[in-house]
Amino acid sequence: MTIVINTLKENSYNEQILSLLDGKDSHVKITDTKDLVIHHCIGCNVCWLKTPGQCAIKDDYKQIIQQLVSAQNLWLVSDTRYGFIDYRGKRIMDRIMPMLNVNVEIRDGWMRHQLRYHALNVGVIYQGDGDKELLQEWTERCAMNLGGESLGVISLDKTGKEVASCM
Amino acid sequence: MHVIIINGSPRTREFSNTAKIIHSFVKGLEKEIVTYELYSLSNLGEWDSARKAFLTNDKIIFALPMYVDSIPSLILEFLETLQSQVLSTSGIGYISNEEGGGRTLSFILHGGFDEGSQFRLCEKLLKSITIQIGCYYGGCLIKGGSFFLRLFERDKVERMTKPYTKMGISYARHGNFVTPEAKRFTGPECYPWLVRQFTGIFLKLVVNKKFEQFALDWGCYEPLDNKPYAQIK
Repeated sequence: MTIVINTLKENSYNEQILSLLDGKDSHVKITDTKDLVIHHCIGCNVCWLKTPGQCAIKDDYKQIIQQLVSAQNLWLVSDTRYGFIDYRGKRIMDRIMPMLNVNVEIRDGWMRHQLRYHALNVGVIYQGDGDKELLQEWTERCAMNLGGESLGVISLDKTGKEVASCM
Repeated sequence: MHVIIINGSPRTREFSNTAKIIHSFVKGLEKEIVTYELYSLSNLGEWDSARKAFLTNDKIIFALPMYVDSIPSLILEFLETLQSQVLSTSGIGYISNEEGGGRTLSFILHGGFDEGSQFRLCEKLLKSITIQIGCYYGGCLIKGGSFFLRLFERDKVERMTKPYTKMGISYARHGNFVTPEAKRFTGPECYPWLVRQFTGIFLKLVVNKKFEQFALDWGCYEPLDNKPYAQIK
């Protein structure tokens, strides 16, 4: 299953993204965060040390974690600032900590937290003036943290052609 | 010299590892008779003052934990509001590549993992952001192994953070972290192969056992690898 988390303020790209993913994965679910209440991760470590796997912040992010548990692929759709994803997009990744557990291991040559569930592949679809090289490197790191592989980084502004070639 | 220190940790100051690091760092500033103001982004009530201080001072340090190989979303939001305030306000400062006014932005970056290589991508991002908001890059003081600052007793925390006092003295003298001592402060970039093998064993036999004990201290009786949403699959 492929989960797409769309953090754009205006979600005009959903149909486009869905049609591009059509046929590549029979189960694609897009979630807009525009109307969801999602707070910043506060680094309290409760999801690691007090209620393992459950975030202390009671907001709409719970439904995203529940989706991720049954997904193999995560596409994060985000606007950009300073060449990087904006705070709305980053907030989604910061809150992903319950997918990992506190125990540490050396995995693929890097010190990493152990996976709580399974490996998750990660890709980023961005809008605006993103630094693609930086975003690619970051997406690879995110995927590595989650035991998966990078699905790539795609500029929404370049639209269809680039997205299609990546899928 | 007068320094603005912005604690970018989303964790409340009481439990903030970053605050503990800053506490030790400013002792070094004080020894060199350097004054400072401290703001914490975890307290939204301090954002207006932090923005104003940022825009009206030349020496600024952001202290932050690394979150998911980059900077916490909270800081990204703060920077966005900073940018919009700059665009909509005149008279309290202006950021642009031409009119940065000599404003130097330096960073204290810390995180749980020990090796310096873990932080390089985040460092690259911090440097890029600094240039994009029209400031001079004053370097990044990087140190790993900070996860346990939250969990250890006070005397052990003081021992762990003590080296930051020396770096406070260094910053007071140089006005940045672009110094050999700041570079050395990070420690090994990557552990040698053999050390890494021992580290793997140490993590399994000692560190992960410590986590179990800390969890018990926090009143947790579930396994740390509990899978509360596994049934949803």
